[in-house]
Amino acid sequence: MKSYHDIVGDGGSGILEQVAEHRTRIADGLAEVRHLVAVGSGKGGVGKSTLTLHLAGALRARGLRIAILDADFNGPSQARMAGVQGALFVPGSHKVSLPRTSNGIGVFSMGSVIPESQALEFESAAQGESQTWRATREFALLGEILGSFEWGALDLLMFDLPPGAERTVQYADFLGPCISFLLVTIPSEVARGVVARSVAALSKGPNRILGYVENMSGYYCRDCNAIKPLFMSSETPRLGIPCLGTVPFDPELARFCDGGISFAELGDTPVRRALDDVAQQLLESLI
Amino acid sequence: MKFLCVPCDTPMKLQSVGPPERGSLSIVYSCPECGYEMAMLTNAYETQAVQSLGVRIGPEGGTKTSDASACPFAAMIPGTEDGQAAEATPVRWTAAAEARLANIPEFVRPMARAGIERYARDNGCLEVDEKILDAARDFFGM
Repeated sequence: MKSYHDIVGDGGSGILEQVAEHRTRIADGLAEVRHLVAVGSGKGGVGKSTLTLHLAGALRARGLRIAILDADFNGPSQARMAGVQGALFVPGSHKVSLPRTSNGIGVFSMGSVIPESQALEFESAAQGESQTWRATREFALLGEILGSFEWGALDLLMFDLPPGAERTVQYADFLGPCISFLLVTIPSEVARGVVARSVAALSKGPNRILGYVENMSGYYCRDCNAIKPLFMSSETPRLGIPCLGTVPFDPELARFCDGGISFAELGDTPVRRALDDVAQQLLESLI
Repeated sequence: MKFLCVPCDTPMKLQSVGPPERGSLSIVYSCPECGYEMAMLTNAYETQAVQSLGVRIGPEGGTKTSDASACPFAAMIPGTEDGQAAEATPVRWTAAAEARLANIPEFVRPMARAGIERYARDNGCLEVDEKILDAARDFFGM
């Protein structure tokens, strides 16, 4: 009797072929993108989205062609922070045009199309029970987005990842070895512990880990024009990957994020200089 | 998944896919040698697992059995086909503009359609053609 592998094709359902077509469409869509970088952590609330947007801004200021894909479908924040809430999706001759920030960064974020008062929902034949299928559906959606938007010729496409060490690895598996990772931590042992787990998980695969950024590394007091401690931890993280820099917390930057104000308008502050330094380190790590 | 007609030792071919009924699909396979037919009846979890891959079940152009590629946001967007909130003034689409819209996946199509129609109305147009699409691209700096 024939075995599974003796039979060519699947009798007409074409499911494997369709999955392969999706993969081809994604690869074609990203063919002119030089670098793919995922900004992750594993830990939530460490400033992945903020760093993603403002590192993109710093790199854009250097003349690089940059786009951001907000991969946090369930908690998208890039639309608000980048000022593309309510952006139109306009069909081009083949694909959908990417909404852009005032400084020319292409941004896809679910927050452009789903109001903050609503959650992303999928119809389900399984009457809920989303724990059995939701992650698969979200990755299929990611594939559709990658395959359907005009990414064009880019120097860098940055993925703003959702929290979760296991999710970080799932993105590595989905996007393949061509995507590199930049991890974000804060000066807290709890956060470093979670990031260390992400490093350990990613280290088992072929993806490059470019390094980590320590965010909220003190806070910038504008009155004193000085960086003051924010966390009590003084220990240097031992993550076994390069440190691309530290960025202090700045309430003004938080205000920029809430208001969708671009990096270009951030004054010459220690935070801006720190972001610039990290952007430079990131750039050099990609060469 | 593949099906084998054991007496003939021949791979069976997909014949038809019945529309989803309470989360179940009826997928009929037949043996090209002896004509024996069998139906795979999926449970809701199996249906959803395949739909979650974003694939069509069944031959291209055949029975549409899955809404996996339908817009998951349709119900959230005013003015979309599924949104039940059609705007007051209907906007026509030229064939060329429709063709461009058809180039994009279903999931994003209702959003694109609603947004473009709103843009057209705001600009005093009740017909979306390729000029309007290009103008919208320029307007939004794309």
